[in-house]
Amino acid sequence: MKAREYWNPYVAGVILGLVLLAAYLVAGNGLGATALPKRSLALVGNQVAPEWTAQNTVLKSYVADGASPLRNWLVVEVVGVILGGFLGALSAGRLAKKVEKGPNISVRGRLTYAMAGGVIMGFAASLARGCTSGQALSGGAGLGTGSWIFMLMVFAGGYSVAHLVRRQWT
Amino acid sequence: MIDPIFPLTFPTDDLRLLTGILIGFGFGFVLERAGFGNARKLAGQFYLNDMTVFKVMFTAILVAMVGLYGLASLGMVDMSMIWISPTFIPAQAVGGFLLGIGFIMSGLCPGTSVVSMVSGRIDGWVTFVGIFLGIALFTLTVDWVPGLHTLYLAGSGEVSLLHEVMGVPALVLALVMVAGAVLAFVGAEKVERIFQAKRSPVELTPPSRPRIKLAMGGSLAVLAIVTLTAGSPGSAGTVSPMVSMAPLSLAESIIEREPGVLILDLRIEPEAEKGIPGAVAAGDPVMVIGLLNSTPEGTVVVTYDESGAFKEAPAEWPKTMDYRFLEGGLAGWRDEVLTPAAVWGSSLAERERVLRQSQISAFFSGAGVQSSSVTAPPPAMPTGGAGKKPKSGGC
Repeated sequence: MKAREYWNPYVAGVILGLVLLAAYLVAGNGLGATALPKRSLALVGNQVAPEWTAQNTVLKSYVADGASPLRNWLVVEVVGVILGGFLGALSAGRLAKKVEKGPNISVRGRLTYAMAGGVIMGFAASLARGCTSGQALSGGAGLGTGSWIFMLMVFAGGYSVAHLVRRQWT
Repeated sequence: MIDPIFPLTFPTDDLRLLTGILIGFGFGFVLERAGFGNARKLAGQFYLNDMTVFKVMFTAILVAMVGLYGLASLGMVDMSMIWISPTFIPAQAVGGFLLGIGFIMSGLCPGTSVVSMVSGRIDGWVTFVGIFLGIALFTLTVDWVPGLHTLYLAGSGEVSLLHEVMGVPALVLALVMVAGAVLAFVGAEKVERIFQAKRSPVELTPPSRPRIKLAMGGSLAVLAIVTLTAGSPGSAGTVSPMVSMAPLSLAESIIEREPGVLILDLRIEPEAEKGIPGAVAAGDPVMVIGLLNSTPEGTVVVTYDESGAFKEAPAEWPKTMDYRFLEGGLAGWRDEVLTPAAVWGSSLAERERVLRQSQISAFFSGAGVQSSSVTAPPPAMPTGGAGKKPKSGGC
C-alpha cells in the first residue's frame, strides 16, 4: 500500500499552532515530551531511594508533598502523543518496522548514532529544563526569553556538527 | 472588560488531566502528518534540502503566539495563570546547543522520537531509550558534579518575556515576527530548491504548488490582520482618555481633605524627587490594578507622572472610577503649587487668587501659613492582588 503524502508544512504548522494554543487555554501550559521519562525516573527513585529522590535537584519538585510524580498533565499529554502518533502512522499507511537511514551507513552505525544522540538530548533537555517541544515550541510561542535563546542554540548546535555526521543520511 | 475565562477551570483534577490525552493526541497526530516521525526528513533541515522543520515550527509558534497574546489583550486570558518556562540563560544556551548536536546525530528530537517510535521505527526506539538514559545521567550527576550544579542554577530563574525585555507590546513583537517569517519562508523555499538539486529530499514530501503558496500567504496575511486589529486602538481592550485636573485644584482638594480621592504616583523613578503628599507610589502595572480593584467604586483617581504625558487609563483598569490626570505632571505641580506667586495682579480677584496660591505654596513647601499641622490624608494602601502562579510545567 502506498503511504499517504505528508501534509503541506504550513498547513501542518497552523494546525500544530492551534493544538499548542489549545494546550495553553485549557491546561495553562504548553506541550512537552520529556515529562514522561523525567517523572518516571522520579517514580522509580521514590521507590528505590526516597530520601535521595526528595533531595535531588531535578526530582525533588516532582515528589514534593507526597504527590504521585506521574499524576501530571504533561505526562498524560505524552500518552496522548503516543496514541496520536500511532493512529496517524497507521491511518497514513506509514506503520513499518524499519530503520530510517541513508544508503551509506550500516544499521548498527545508524543505531549507534541514534543512541548517542538520544543520550546527549536527554542530558541537554534536563539541563535546559525542556526540549524542542517544551522550550522551543511552547516557550517560543509564550515569548519566553530563555526559550528563544534555547531555540537559536538548538539550530546553532545542529548546523555546527551536521557536516560531520552527514554519512548517516547521504 | 471581559472576565478572563482562560485557562479553563475544571471541577475535578481528573477531568483536567483527561484533556491532556486529547491535546496530546492532536500533537502526536500533527507531528506524524508533518513527516516528523521520519528521522531522515527532520535531518533535512540541517542539510537545507528539506526545511519542513523550520516551516512547521515557526508557523505553529506564530499562530499560538498571536492567539495567546491576542486573547490576552482582549482580557480573555489570565496570563498570570499561564506557565511560561523561567529563564536560566547559561543552562538554556548550553542545553540548547547540546540538544542541537544530539538532534542531528539521532535525526529526532525528544517529541518526534516518540512519534517515530510508535510508527515502528527502530531508530526512534533507540533514540527514546537514549533520551531516558541521558535524563538519568543528568539527574544522577547534577548534585555531585560541582560545575554542572552551578550551570544548572545560574541565572535569574525568573519568568522573562521577550517583549518586556524589548519594551514593546507582545502583539507588536508578534507582528514583526510574522513579517519576518514571511520573508524567511520565501527564503527557505529558495534555499530548499538550491540544495534539493544536490540531494533529493525524503519521498512523499509534497512539492510546493502555487495553490499552497497562495494559501500560505493568505493565512499569514490573516494572521497579520488579526494581530493588527487586536493590537490597534478602537477594538476592545484599549486605553481610554482621562479628564485633566489643574495642579491648584488638586492642591485645594488635598488641603480640604476631600474624601474619595486617590492620588496615584505613576512615575518610573518615584525616588528621584519628592512626590505629592499623600500620593501612593504605583509600583508595577499589576500592583496598580490590584490597588484599583480594592479601591471603592466612584473614587476620583488622580494620576501623575513626571511631565503629564500619561493621559489615558489603560484598558485593564477597572471602569468604575473617575480617572483624572494631573496637568503637567509633577513638573506642573512644582511650577504652580510649590513655586510661590510673586506678582500682585491688579484686580481684586487676581490678588485674591495670588494670595491663595501663595498660601497653598507655603502649605506644601512646609512654611505653614495656615495650620501647619495639616497633613494630607494618606490613602489606605491595599496590597496588590498579584502573585499567584501555577505550579506545573516542564517539557
